[in-house]
Parts: sequence; C-alpha cells; structure tokens
Amino acid sequence: MTSEAVVTTRGLTKRYGSVVAVADLDLEVRKGEIYAFLGRNGAGKTTTIRMILGLIRPDAGEVRVFGPTADSAHPEWLRRVGSLVETATAYPNLTVRENLDLHRRYTGAPARAVPDVIEQLGLAPVADRRAGQLSLGNKQRLSLARALVHAPALLVLDEPANALDPAGIVEIRQLLRSLADGHGTTVFVSSHILVEVAHLADRIGIVHAGRLIEELDREALIAAARTFSAEQLTDQQRADALLGLELERYFLARTDEGPR
Amino acid sequence: MLATAFTGELTKLRRTIAPWVTLGSLMTGPLFLALFMWIIRDPQRAAEFGLLGTKAALSGIEPTWSSFAGFLTLIVGLGGTLLLAFVAAYVFGREYSEGTAKIMLTLPIPRPSFVVAKLAVAAVWWLTIVLVVFVEAVLVGLALALPGITGVGVVSLLGNLLLVAGISYLLAPAVALVTVWTRGYLAPVGFALGMLLLGNVVGHTGWAPWFPWSIVPILVGSVGDPVDTLPSGSLLILAITFAGGIVATIQVLQNADNTQ
Ligand SMILES: Nc1ncnc2c1ncn2[C@@H]1O[C@H](COP(=O)(O)OP(=O)(O)OP(=O)(O)O)[C@@H](O)[C@H]1O
Ligand SMILES: [Mg+2]
Repeated sequence: MTSEAVVTTRGLTKRYGSVVAVADLDLEVRKGEIYAFLGRNGAGKTTTIRMILGLIRPDAGEVRVFGPTADSAHPEWLRRVGSLVETATAYPNLTVRENLDLHRRYTGAPARAVPDVIEQLGLAPVADRRAGQLSLGNKQRLSLARALVHAPALLVLDEPANALDPAGIVEIRQLLRSLADGHGTTVFVSSHILVEVAHLADRIGIVHAGRLIEELDREALIAAARTFSAEQLTDQQRADALLGLELERYFLARTDEGPR
Repeated sequence: MLATAFTGELTKLRRTIAPWVTLGSLMTGPLFLALFMWIIRDPQRAAEFGLLGTKAALSGIEPTWSSFAGFLTLIVGLGGTLLLAFVAAYVFGREYSEGTAKIMLTLPIPRPSFVVAKLAVAAVWWLTIVLVVFVEAVLVGLALALPGITGVGVVSLLGNLLLVAGISYLLAPAVALVTVWTRGYLAPVGFALGMLLLGNVVGHTGWAPWFPWSIVPILVGSVGDPVDTLPSGSLLILAITFAGGIVATIQVLQNADNTQ
C-alpha cells in the first residue's frame, strides 16, 4: 500500500449525451504492478484508457500519471508510456520495421530497440511486410511491439489479447509478467476475459456501467470465485470448462507438430 | 521536435500513390493546352476535330506563349487550389481514416508540431508539383515553338505560377481545419470545392478582394480580366485566413475528443 502510485484517477467522469461512460472513478495503479481493468462490453474500459492517455477530456475529475496531472499540451510524460487503444493500427504503406522505426524516432529510443521488439513479439518472419498486409493477430503484435519500443515505465493496454491465438496469449502474458518483474514496468491492462486476468494480474478492478464495483488481488479474486461457484456450478459446466482446456492443448500440440 | 515531426511525415508518405496522382493530374494541364493550340493553329485541322476544335476556338485560346501561359496560370490557380486541398485533406485525414490518429496523439511530441509539419509537407509537395508543371510547360512551349516564348515570358510565367500557388497555399490550413474537425476526407474536399465555386461567384461582385477564395480567381482572370495588383486589404485577409486556420487546427487537435 505504501508503494508509489503511477496512475491515479480521482472522480473521473465522462458522459456521452445521456450515457455515462465512466462515473466518478477513483483508481490507483502502483509502480511495478499489473493492474487489470475488467469489465463487460461497454463498461467504460476504453473510455477510461483514452482519458488516461489524454485522447479525450474528462467531464469531471483528473488523471495523474507519474505524479503530475497528465496534460496533453505538454506531452513529455508520454515518452515513458506505451499504449495500445482498442483496435490495432499502423501506417499500412510502411513495413513492420518501418512502422516501429518511425515510432522509435518519435520517442527517441535507440536503434537497437527495433530489432529487439521484433524478436520479442515474434514478428521476424513478417518484419519486411507492409503493415496493411498483415493478418489481424500480427497487426496486434505490431501494435504491442510499438507500445514497447521505447521501453516505457508504464504500459496502458486495451485488451492486448485481441485477435491473438492461444499460444500468442500465453506469450504476451509471459512477456508482460517478465517486464513487470524484471524491469519494474507498471502495466494497466483492460480485459473482458476473466481467465486471462486471473493468470496475469496482481490486482483486478471490476468496472461496470462506468463504475468501479470491486477491487481485489488475484488470490482474493480466485478465492471469491471458488466459494461462489462451489454452490453454483453444475458438473456439466465443470466438464465443459475442462473440455475447453483440453481442446486448446490439443490444438496447440497439433499445430506445432504439423500434418501427419 | 519539429524536425522529427517533419521527417516523420515524409516517412509516412513512402509508397503512397497520392503524390503521384496529384502530380499526374496537374501535369495534364499543359498537355491539354498544347493539344488545343496544335488544333487551332491550323483551321483545316480544327474543322477535322469537330467539336473539340470548336471548343478550343471558343475558349479564346490563341497559339501563342502568352495565351498558353495565361491559361496555364488559370489551371494552376483554380485546379491547383482543389488539388492542394486534396493534399492537405490527405496528410491530415489519413490519420483518421487509417486509425493512426490515436498513435500520433499519444506521442511525446506537442500536437502543434504535427500541424506545422503536415502543412510544411503539403507546401513541399505542392511546390514540387508546380515546379514540375512549370518545366513541363516550358518544354511544351519550345516543342510547339509558340510565338512569344522568350526568357522574359518564361520568367513571368514562373512568377505568376508561384504567386497563385502561394496564395492557394495560404488557404490550405482552412482545409486542414475542416479535416481535423470532421476527421475525414469528404468534408474538406467538399469544402474546397464549395469555396472554389463560391469564390468564382463572389469574384464577380465588389466583395472579390475581401473574400479569400475570390482572390485567386481575380488574379487568374476566371472572373473578368486578370488583375495585376491586389489591394493590401486582400493580403491582410489572406494572412488572417492562413494564421487563423493554423491556430484553429491546433486548437481542435489539442482539445477535441479523440474517440475514433
Ligand atoms: N464516442 C462515443 N460516443 C457515444 N458514446 C460512446 C462513445 N464512446 C463510448 N461510448 C459509450 O460509452 C460506454 C463505454 O464505452 P467503452 O468503449 O469505454 O466500453 P468498453 O468497456 O471499452 O467496452 P468493450 O469491451 O466493448 O470494448 C458505452 O456505453 C459506449 O456506447
Ligand atoms: Mg473497449
């Protein structure tokens, strides 16, 4: 509880007409932790992330990143932030490498950083392909690579697992874990996939209809879910859940092995 | 910052076809004029070409360098204004249509730098087109051996082209403003077309020197005989349109919500 806050929001509110996208949100993301922002479709995750990054202005409340108020008119602080908002995008006429190199120049990162993230995100086979021709999952990898090029102290990722296959999801999870553990990178990640978050996050905030309804650490979340589901789940549902895992394992093993 | 933003904008144009399309379309100007002149130079040929011949004769074109230069100035002044609007709409609008605005706006580079860099790229792009078309026009003039093609005549064409191109350029920030305001290409191109038409209508009235989009029409003679000098009030209006467009574009980028 004593460790330093990297992202703080106070009373953060955003309305779109009569829709309250984010309502009076108080968040605190601490240095070196992975904080998952969990919510259903339309809960206000992306809107919160846009406000943290200065892409939209709150109607009320404030955002602090690294201490001072996040101000888009003086964007120096963004040098220490890597982000991915909603859908993955890139300049389609530029190759993967050129897109990353452009970002490297903008953020003042060393030249070495580009081949490094290409390696890290498994983009080497498509490094010289134009971004416009990439598969969806590789576009997602490119966007994640861009978020990492300048070795940011804070990563703000909106549903980073989008479009990734099961192996890709595991890779990204491991990558984020190693950044948090090895480099003290703070990660704020939104998701609507519970399992994903349970494996990855140190703390989880559950957001619904723009409000933070619960905030707990991973162990507490898992324990709460166990107690709750012990009474709720039928044997059939347990079997289905297990089947999902079995199918995933088989699929990954078979695709590694190739045709037989 | 500005240098990084500028070279970044140049990189973003790599392998795009827009620069070639705009160059190619303005380069048809001297060729069409040359065709007309070649037709009307010989009454026999004009008769053979039927409608096209009549048109050429009706439009008041004479097979002389001064007529050629006058019409080319008109094409660059009016057609070019539209082309330049396309250039401005393209460099600003593609960030929205390609979904890269959120990348650009979360970089540690002040947003005004991007506005200035994009307008600078549009200026370089536009100037290049005009200079290429000028060289092309001189070559066409020499090839047709148009009477009156002298050093003085050639320099005077260059001066006139640069003047109308420069004035058209002062109107480009207004197009940029409409682009970032509406976050797309359609409105700015429609805006430019509308202003061009309106400018030609207003050009027939006493308001002509005071309406920014009428100033090129009165200079190139699309509304009455071309004028040689502008009242200093016109220059002031143009300067205000230019500076106001830049300031407003920066304001929109700085303050408008980016929810694309
Ligand atoms: N530009 C906008 N105009 C109007 N309403 C909006 C806008 N952006 C978001 N909203 C509304 O705000 C609410 C929160 O949207 P938001 O995109 O933040 O949800 P989310 O949690 O990211 O959902 P998802 O999981 O589907 O990505 C929704 O009701 C949405 O319809
Ligand atoms: Mg979302």
